Amino acid sequence: MKEFIEYLTRQIDAGRDDIMALEKDGRQDDADFAKVRTNIYEVCRTVTNALKDRPNAGAGAVKAQLERFRTAWQAALDKAREHGDARNIVVEETKLAALADVAAHFPEADR
Amino acid sequence: MTQENALRIFKSLSDMSRLRIVRSLTQGDMYTELLAERLDLTPSTVSFHMKKLEEAGLVVSRKEQYYTVYSLDRSVLEQSLFDVAASEPEQTDEQQKREEEYHRKVIDSFFEYGKLRAIPVQRKKKLICYEVIAERFAPGKVYSEKEVNGIIAPVYEDYCTVRRDMIGEGILQRNGSEYVRVR
Repeated sequence: MKEFIEYLTRQIDAGRDDIMALEKDGRQDDADFAKVRTNIYEVCRTVTNALKDRPNAGAGAVKAQLERFRTAWQAALDKAREHGDARNIVVEETKLAALADVAAHFPEADR
Repeated sequence: MTQENALRIFKSLSDMSRLRIVRSLTQGDMYTELLAERLDLTPSTVSFHMKKLEEAGLVVSRKEQYYTVYSLDRSVLEQSLFDVAASEPEQTDEQQKREEEYHRKVIDSFFEYGKLRAIPVQRKKKLICYEVIAERFAPGKVYSEKEVNGIIAPVYEDYCTVRRDMIGEGILQRNGSEYVRVR
């Protein structure tokens, strides 16, 4: 779990750099989407830190929470697509892509 | 062109990604996926930017088989910056404009994809929301209670409260088991 949290921290730091670079480049909307992506790594880190050492929780609880996020965000994406809501389509896709990346880096033994 | 249109143009172009899209389109019409690849963006991000450019009237789209192809509206882009900047404000009553803006904000806050999130506590806001729901009723047409419920339920699950409120506010009128939109 320690390596996983370090990975999330690296993604958060890289995300903050991306946000700054995009803002500097005059790409405010893209910077806002980068903020959404970075926020997902922050949320996942917070969830992991909160659950990893809790009795009767641990990796299984983290994984279950990530799956709950995925279900909710997929539903939000479907809804945004149904209504042709261009901004929310990007937001929900960004969240799901970041979450898929997080899930792919979840410690092998705990998957 | 009105000052409002000019503002939409300047706002949509004050973003480097959209400027790059416009620059790419000066070379010819393009579809979303090609623009995404060229600009290293996801297709949905390109679609988001295209929507902003379309709203500003800078870009037009057409469907070609499975693709949405975008092209520049040169009639807008070929206007001089001087003419765009010198455009006149729309001739609307300021008070009416503020009211319309307030209505739009209330509707954006309380409705999501056509569904009412919650009944506003403030009466003024509540009336605005009920007026939106009232648009689903044809004025003068007689509805049964079941029909009224069937119209309100997809917007808000507690359709009984909304129905009663709309009668109380004089938006719907009840005569026995018949309902008519009166406002």
